[in-house]
Amino acid sequence: MTKYVLRRLTQVAPTIVGIICASFILVRLAPGDPIDVLASGNGDEAYYEFMRTKYQLDEPLVTQLWAYFSNVLRGDFGTSYLTGEPVVHMIIPRIGSTVLLTLSSIFVSTIIGVMCGLLAAWRVDQTVDRVVLRLSTLAIAAPSFWIAQMMLLLFALRLGIFPSDGRNSPGFSGSGMARTIDTIWHLILPMTVLAIQESSTIARLTRIGIVDLLDEDHIRLARAKGLSDLQVISRHALRGSLRSVVTVIGGRVGHVFSGAVVVELIFGWPGLGQLVLSSSQAQDTPVLMGVLILVAAAVVVTNLATDLTYMVIDPRVRLR
Amino acid sequence: MKKSLTSVLVSLAALGVIPSAPINAATPISQGSPCTTEGSRVEGPKKTKLVCASVQGERIWITKGGDLVVAISQDPGSLNPAATTAGAVHTASELMFNGLVELDEKLRPTPELAESWTVDKKAKVYTFKLRRGIKWHDGVPFTSADVKYTFDEVLLKYHSRTRAAMLTALDGISTPDAHTVRFTFKEPYGPLLLQLDVTEAPILPAHIYQGSDPTKNSANLAPVGTGPFKFGSYVRGSEIVLTRNANYFKKGKPYLDRVIMRVIPNAATQLIALESGSVDFLWGVPGPDRARLLRRKKAFNTLVARRNPGGANCMMTVSFNLNRPITSNPSVRRAIFHAINRQAFLTDVIFNEGSVAAAPFSKGIVWAWGRNLKLPEYSKSKANTLLDAAGWTGRDGTTRTAQGVSGVANGTKLSIDFLHFPNFATYAELYKAQLTEVGIEVRLRPLQSGPFSTAVFANRDFDTNIISYCNGNDPEIGIRRMYDTAQIGSVAFSNAAAYSNRAVDALFQQARNTLDLDKRQDLYRRIQIQLVKDLPYLWLVEPKATRIYASSCGGFRPYSLFAEEAYCSS
Repeated sequence: MTKYVLRRLTQVAPTIVGIICASFILVRLAPGDPIDVLASGNGDEAYYEFMRTKYQLDEPLVTQLWAYFSNVLRGDFGTSYLTGEPVVHMIIPRIGSTVLLTLSSIFVSTIIGVMCGLLAAWRVDQTVDRVVLRLSTLAIAAPSFWIAQMMLLLFALRLGIFPSDGRNSPGFSGSGMARTIDTIWHLILPMTVLAIQESSTIARLTRIGIVDLLDEDHIRLARAKGLSDLQVISRHALRGSLRSVVTVIGGRVGHVFSGAVVVELIFGWPGLGQLVLSSSQAQDTPVLMGVLILVAAAVVVTNLATDLTYMVIDPRVRLR
Repeated sequence: MKKSLTSVLVSLAALGVIPSAPINAATPISQGSPCTTEGSRVEGPKKTKLVCASVQGERIWITKGGDLVVAISQDPGSLNPAATTAGAVHTASELMFNGLVELDEKLRPTPELAESWTVDKKAKVYTFKLRRGIKWHDGVPFTSADVKYTFDEVLLKYHSRTRAAMLTALDGISTPDAHTVRFTFKEPYGPLLLQLDVTEAPILPAHIYQGSDPTKNSANLAPVGTGPFKFGSYVRGSEIVLTRNANYFKKGKPYLDRVIMRVIPNAATQLIALESGSVDFLWGVPGPDRARLLRRKKAFNTLVARRNPGGANCMMTVSFNLNRPITSNPSVRRAIFHAINRQAFLTDVIFNEGSVAAAPFSKGIVWAWGRNLKLPEYSKSKANTLLDAAGWTGRDGTTRTAQGVSGVANGTKLSIDFLHFPNFATYAELYKAQLTEVGIEVRLRPLQSGPFSTAVFANRDFDTNIISYCNGNDPEIGIRRMYDTAQIGSVAFSNAAAYSNRAVDALFQQARNTLDLDKRQDLYRRIQIQLVKDLPYLWLVEPKATRIYASSCGGFRPYSLFAEEAYCSS
């Protein structure tokens, strides 16, 4: 078991190094020039030369990559071309917002998803099951930007019960409990949009996991002993089916983040997704790279955590 | 006008029970009406206190205090307007700063930080007397050293427009005393006064920036200025709060307590925020949505502006690549001009938000644009005749082919590409449709701004393209770059056509060296007559931005420091 954990841990570092190199080269090879954005259509040759030298953009790509890499190892992610600010300073204040949005939606979607999945499996091929299946198909198929716009029109404009944008009300100055309530009030719409698709996936997986299990021998034995469907599911099938749910949740962190880019954009949620979008539009490479590395690391770490959790849930993994 | 959770809960409880109350039905004096007496009075059932104040030269009744919530589409990242020309930075930060002069709607310079100025006869030495008693937001007095520092260390290095226009012409800036600044030029320099407003040359505090890298100073995120509003707070990606500068040197102004700049990247969400009342002011709204909002019983007002914090007097311009065999032929360019119905671009693409370009220069530069110049009119028959004569022939409804066109093999299809930003796709579709009608095939190539600049300016890989060229407040700022031989190169948004005419170059130089506006006007007229002959570009339409705001607010200006005199009743 220790060996397995160690092996998984040693895979983390090379993965992250690979991600840094690949994304650095990809971002740099993309056509365009960050100075164009800085000049915004007004620079002359001298300005371009001056700014290129200032940001060391005139060095060869390999030199730049090496410099970047050694800086990152020292914890220096560079400074933004656009704002001159250290990238770390720009990222840190936004992490909280994105973590709040993604974690809350993973949490809510897991609860709702597992519950719907159980419900469907319990009454498989009956009305409840069909409703769950159809709704989840619909939710998976509908693009999240469309769901987001519809929710805005309904809840922010027509009913006026939720705010349209931001993490807090304009000019909000309260603190403590008042701020928390204000934040939750702002969180509900974007979180729901993000959770809708996730919970649909989870519901379907939970359902199919349980339905499959119900055919297995130990479940038949439990049934033969006279346990009711509900007891069989809650005592025996649920734990088994959780394996697939855990895998999905772990694997979906990256997916949820990419969903968060869209949701943050539409709801003006001040997180990393917005930063990714604005920095890639502005070709602000240092900022873009900083967020990419952070997200990649988050995905790698959650995958690791998933594997380790898996090991706890399913003893067979430990033996491999 | 922000909505709180409690107010929403209250309104929810009352949903469908209480009909909306009539607004100030019997109020004798309403906000915005002209004052007949000075002072203040309490009006209406809500006991609003109205104050007589000066807004754009008129004395009117307004409500003092309160918040204005403005939607901005991009997180600015920095609040230093001197170190960049980026529109997002200027939009969010200009209210905290001032320029030496202010430019009114007709681009007339009026005193701001400078109280008065003199120019020597040769237009080489400009001497500014600074207003006394101005203090920075931190209480330190404003002096000539601030002006010199800002120009030498920030504007002439990092403000790409001011740098490009002034750096080579300027001999130096001196400060004979704490309240005098002198600009000395190597040769006569005419356009200076149009380059000193808060957009082109905002002044920074030397005592904060001196000795630091101005692009990295921490004050870029918590600025200290002289402007009508002070920095309050900045939450990344969320909002910037500006608070009233009670010691503003323009006595009595501003009228609002706070201006809250709210980052809402998505245009549809901005609209919903405006309609649901959480935002009071939008910088621009697409035509169809604007019409719908304005139908809503006087809830919203509009203001048309030519100048935006990021650039003024922008003109949608099609560039012809003069290095390519097809587009280097003036007859073909004239034919394309004739084939394009520019009126249709005005009505169908920008929904009458602006005007059809009437000359190579923007009409916003009131004194310089060429009145009564005749641009080729919309006429398909003239386009067809010209193309036939140029050797591009073909039956109606098919793409023309070359018959004896120099530099082109016989039988080559008359096919050109058209590069455009994805957000200009509607322009592209209409351009393609109109040219197809005269037998020109158009291949659309949508490109994001980075790849666009590389293709057009670095690689010159295009036949035609469309660019929003902001002409600026003076032809020297935003127009010369489009025609100057020296500006052909890889620098983005310079001379895209690669137009080169020594006579035009010389006239531009002469106009820059001339102070007298009438003489400059004449020189620019001669330039434009030549350009209309050569047609290196197709001057399409001049879009204007329509600001839209809740009608509980008013006093917005269509130029810089837009909220200096704004007011809102809550």
